[in-house]
Amino acid sequence: MEKDYYVCTGCGLLCDDIEVELEKNAVNKVYTACRVGVAHMKEGSRDSAFLVDGKPADEAAAIKEAALILKNAKNPLVFGLGTSTNEAQKLAIELAKKLSATLDDTSSFCLGPVVEALLQEKFKTCTLDDIRHKADVAIFWGADPSDSHPRHLSKFSYFPRGQEKQRGWEEERTAICVDIRKSHTAKICGNYFFQVPQGGDAEFIEALIAGLSGKIPKTSYNYPPKKLLELANILKGAKFGTIFVGLGLLYSLEDLGPLVRLLETLNEKAKGSFHLVPMVGHYNMRGFNENLFAETGYVNSVKFEEGAVKHGPEYSVVEALKAKAVDAALIIGSDPLSSLPRSIAKNLLEIPIITVDPCETLTSRKAKVAIRSGVSGVESGGSATRMDGVEVSFKPIVETNRPSDEEVLKKLMEAL
Amino acid sequence: MDFGSFLSAPEIKIKIVTYRDIFQNKAMIEDRFGEDYRASSALIKLDPADLKQLGIKKGDTVIVKNSFGKIVVRAEESGYEAPHRGTAYMPNSPWSNSLVSDETGGKGVPRFKDITATVTTAKGEKVTELEF
Ligand code: SF4
Repeated sequence: MEKDYYVCTGCGLLCDDIEVELEKNAVNKVYTACRVGVAHMKEGSRDSAFLVDGKPADEAAAIKEAALILKNAKNPLVFGLGTSTNEAQKLAIELAKKLSATLDDTSSFCLGPVVEALLQEKFKTCTLDDIRHKADVAIFWGADPSDSHPRHLSKFSYFPRGQEKQRGWEEERTAICVDIRKSHTAKICGNYFFQVPQGGDAEFIEALIAGLSGKIPKTSYNYPPKKLLELANILKGAKFGTIFVGLGLLYSLEDLGPLVRLLETLNEKAKGSFHLVPMVGHYNMRGFNENLFAETGYVNSVKFEEGAVKHGPEYSVVEALKAKAVDAALIIGSDPLSSLPRSIAKNLLEIPIITVDPCETLTSRKAKVAIRSGVSGVESGGSATRMDGVEVSFKPIVETNRPSDEEVLKKLMEAL
Repeated sequence: MDFGSFLSAPEIKIKIVTYRDIFQNKAMIEDRFGEDYRASSALIKLDPADLKQLGIKKGDTVIVKNSFGKIVVRAEESGYEAPHRGTAYMPNSPWSNSLVSDETGGKGVPRFKDITATVTTAKGEKVTELEF
């Protein structure tokens, strides 16, 4: 019997080996997924809902009202899209152009700079499949996949057998964690957990580079040089190494300079090659970055203006809201009232909001128009870009009467 | 003599480190307005010695505040072996985000992982409701 495998869109890993059992058009059982994936795949099957001013409305009325808000705005913001398909993202870019809107996603305040540097080929990178088959050293830096990407270690980076790694983690792989706290991932790494003080990563990197170059590694916080040299030696012996960059590392660096230098030094001094992969959380944030990059040369924080495109931090969601530069917001699959600092997010309450989201959120509760879309990957299909840049296509598992993000965006386009 | 200083509850200054947690993430997917999400989000993990100094037991609520916001959350023991007095841990959530500075240096990136605040006992006050 041929089996149907589904893709989980619960995080940036886009696991493609999921089996489900259905009952009355709802996902009843989920096999192979992690705990987050199971919750995510059972998320569908809520009622269709279009709300205008918090009251139920029909689809036509909701789309009309949303279009009116966008038409009346001088500088609307289109934001979110990390959990939308590539197809929906491309439509949103078109829509933003048509509206002369500011367009941004969550990557502007998370891993955007790393993805941008990858697309500009400043780092050597590889796929998760390469890692499963070949990697002998994985460094989780400011990242805790055991919590954020639960199957990362078991499916790709530490535990599995791979073509050239038949003896897996017991003998052939080393997992290393650098973090400011002993996370679940750090515990798995055992003796290879290197705890740095808050904000101490840049110095740790410089010290490591010194260690790799045969000098004595020094830090202002007196990290034991012996431990740093031990780390440098493991890395030097690596045949295929990867640094998984998490937010903890990125937030502690002023810029990517130290990381670029570390990768260069590693590729010079180590036996084999070293790669960098960003720990992208949302299932298609990388897709958004790549789609916008293909269209404009930027990964986020843009403003379209009469055919031209402007780019800069002032067009990021955070600065645009802080400066009160936008006068309406179309928010797709994101909940900025939860995820942004309250001190900044509160400015959203002064402008009309349209939300397109499968869930009720703090933001959708404050929306003038709230559209509950289908859960992509569960109730609608499409394609997305995995955290390592590999494109993955998926089909819906259950039917729904709720529109997909893509359908909502299409209708909004027509109504404009 | 200033009796107020005897009567007022002890207050400590802390640095807050935020993190993600798989159980909290799952609870959010299931119902972000539900009890599970609140229980796994609206909490702060402290060093046992800090709990003692505050005169509270684990599970009691505390007021965590700074110039950006004030929240009431549940205090827990961190469970980390290494002592970390003055550093506390919170899952990333709308509660922790209430304390994040709006200062971004014009770069578009809030200092999510760099929060300082003070903690005092909430004397039984309930956990802050999620609302705007
Ligand atoms: S690791 Fe991520 S993609 Fe894989 S099953 Fe879990 S949530 Fe889904």
